[in-house]
Amino acid sequence: MKFKDYYEILGVPRSATQDDVKRAYRKLARKFHPDVSKDPDAEARFKEMGEAYAVLKDPEKRAAYDQMGSQWKTGQDFQPPPGWDAGFEFSGGDFGAGPGGDHSDFFEALFGRHVGGGPRAQRHAQGQDHHAKVLIDLADAYAGAQRGISLRMPVLDAQGRVTMQERALEVNIPKGVRAGQHLRLAGQGGPGVGEGAAGDLYLEIAFKPDPRFRADGRDVYLDLPLAPWEAALGAVVAAPTPEGPVQLTIPPGSAAGRRLRLKGRGIPGSPAGYLYVVLTIALPPADNEAAQEAYRAMAKAFDFDPRTHLKG
Amino acid sequence: MNETHMTLIRGLVVEEEVQLTLVELCQACSAEQEHVLAWVFEGVLEPVGESPQDWRFSGDSLRRARLAQRLSRDLEINPPGVALALDLLDEIAALRARLQRVGIGY
Repeated sequence: MKFKDYYEILGVPRSATQDDVKRAYRKLARKFHPDVSKDPDAEARFKEMGEAYAVLKDPEKRAAYDQMGSQWKTGQDFQPPPGWDAGFEFSGGDFGAGPGGDHSDFFEALFGRHVGGGPRAQRHAQGQDHHAKVLIDLADAYAGAQRGISLRMPVLDAQGRVTMQERALEVNIPKGVRAGQHLRLAGQGGPGVGEGAAGDLYLEIAFKPDPRFRADGRDVYLDLPLAPWEAALGAVVAAPTPEGPVQLTIPPGSAAGRRLRLKGRGIPGSPAGYLYVVLTIALPPADNEAAQEAYRAMAKAFDFDPRTHLKG
Repeated sequence: MNETHMTLIRGLVVEEEVQLTLVELCQACSAEQEHVLAWVFEGVLEPVGESPQDWRFSGDSLRRARLAQRLSRDLEINPPGVALALDLLDEIAALRARLQRVGIGY
């Protein structure tokens, strides 16, 4: 297990006041909140700072953490000394920031696992709703599909500890579903208490990254490279679509960046989305004598200056 | 290999096929009812219906309510601040989508 320097994570000295800690956390949290930041590490950073804040904002936990001494550095191998927390009484309860029950091994070794909230001491209560993200292929949204998905869910064991349980489900992917939409699976969430009904499971849909297509709502984009002569003279070329290849007529005089809009070829629905084919122009390499001769012939044939717009 | 037979579970597309009551929405985003009421008051969510008991939230409300819940929990933002943040996030998303449409970034 690696030591975590919670002061370093929040960027405050060990002498920081509670107000300093709060201010530093708030500032970092606004910057790295996964709903706000596009930084690919945002989620991990945010979790880490939430954990640091959960310890440092709580005077009891902070005092216990402090007495391990300041010689530890982030990433050092660490085992809590036996009886390290003797004499500290934790009030328990809510850890506040950060998702509960989802802390690092380091945190759990020091402060134990904790499950927040939840219906307690109620004889009958509805189970909690659960949420998960699923990645599907774009083609599944075009045709609809049945997909097996596996989810990891925290569950409470008989001793009240959190363990992760794998669960496999077979789910229908409705035709026309788009990234960011949710599927509701009734009764597939947390179990109810007593005679309470089980909660629901919500699956948020996202598309697996695709080397060819990118989706924007119902619309789908494809970059299609053309040879210079195809773009200049027009051509009929084969283009892939998520539903299979189509023959596409390229109008003569097509510049790079021109978009061809194919109605009804985006994600199905009413109305269906568009498929936008964005033209790019690929230059053939001049790596043999014949190719070089062809380029020289072009240079002779054209009175062409691509930089006229740069002249003053 | 042994294949375990699994029953197919039919999911409904929340954004298109589902309307949520106040209780269902609170349950789905683990939010206190008073928070959801405050967000409605600020215009973050726009249910149809006369009184909270009759309210029906469109499926799109789920995403907004979960976002509102995370922002208010993690950043301790009050309801007017949540409303402002959601408006700004919507605007950023629209601008990013425009950039993508012209082939730049994201």
